[in-house]
Amino acid sequence: MNNNVLCPECEAEVSLDANVMQGEILVCPDCGVDLEVITTDPIAVEIAPMEEEDWGE
Amino acid sequence: MIKMKNISETLLGLVSNYSPSGQEKPAVQFLLQRMQALGFERTFQDKVGNAVGIIGQGPHQLMLLGHIDTVPGEIPIRIENGVLYARGSVDAKGPLAAFVDAVAAVGVRLGWQMIVIGAVGEETDSRGARYIVDQYRPDMVIIGEPSAWERITLGYKGCAHVKITARRSSHHSASGQQTACEAAAQIWQDVQAWTGEYNEKYNRRFEQAQTSLLKWSSGTNGFENRATLEIEARLPLALNPVDWFLVMKELAGTEEVQTMGFPIQAYRSEKNSPLVRSFLKAIRGAGGKPDFVVKTGTADMNIVAPVWQCPAVAYGPGDSSLDHTPQEHLSLEEYENAVTVLKKMLKNITD
Repeated sequence: MNNNVLCPECEAEVSLDANVMQGEILVCPDCGVDLEVITTDPIAVEIAPMEEEDWGE
Repeated sequence: MIKMKNISETLLGLVSNYSPSGQEKPAVQFLLQRMQALGFERTFQDKVGNAVGIIGQGPHQLMLLGHIDTVPGEIPIRIENGVLYARGSVDAKGPLAAFVDAVAAVGVRLGWQMIVIGAVGEETDSRGARYIVDQYRPDMVIIGEPSAWERITLGYKGCAHVKITARRSSHHSASGQQTACEAAAQIWQDVQAWTGEYNEKYNRRFEQAQTSLLKWSSGTNGFENRATLEIEARLPLALNPVDWFLVMKELAGTEEVQTMGFPIQAYRSEKNSPLVRSFLKAIRGAGGKPDFVVKTGTADMNIVAPVWQCPAVAYGPGDSSLDHTPQEHLSLEEYENAVTVLKKMLKNITD
């Protein structure tokens, strides 16, 4: 199985482990953006959810 | 009379039992009865008054830790246009009720014990969480706080309090000598200047220190004047309460500095955990678009997660900007969406 995907941010080729899991967060080695593995069959990644800041509990 | 239609009985029952910190007992009794009626196998009130419900058994343990106390200030309960107005609807009886409803709906899962706790005292000294931290060692913990149904809370800032007292001998004001009040005012200005300088290195509020002057008092016994400042700090991960306290001592010079309450270290959980993955999948599965959030407040996550050293997030329906406000309210659709996400997440994690 081909475990290489293109980073949706910079189009760098990102190589994933064979045992990658759905929901796993990876870092693109070229641009540093966080990527989320959306599906594993076929393997697809999206830019991971943004991290917001909020006040309160 | 509140219309019962389309509202969770757990949620309605919890908010109907007003329970500011220290007066949680009626809400705890309700929750225990409710969990029993929903099929929890063991329900009990622990030594410090927390409501505990347990379902299933096995080598794995999942803790869903909410809190059952609220800040004071009863809000008349009403439902208008699908929105519940009530004290605690957001912080944090909504999230706690969602835990109970979701766990009850999912039921027993092979190899897993699920524990729901409605902890007491979260809004004051976190005595409920401080007690349970030595009683359990779960594999994962979800803290019940309002994140909004599509978001996962990853961390909270820490907090610490100090009292600084300046003293000066009484003298005639025409003497030109510095007064205790002037000395205290100078210290507060120095605290603000230090905080501003510290924050120059950081753009995000989660990484910055925030100091507030909560109280100022002064007085005299005729021979000596004193002025006291009570300062609160919301602290980032990079600044632990002990280090901040040492800074306060340095800025206060020879004046008296006392710590107050329980200092709490900031905490941020790891994104790459089975717990976070299960939530991401569940939120997408419920038709949502997940986001992460870090909070500038402090929660029971700060107490238990560093000790348990296990995957931890906070989750629950509601808009946390309504915490502690007279306008506190929760959309019932938001509540149902959060229960749906929790049910999916519990199934994902226990499969």
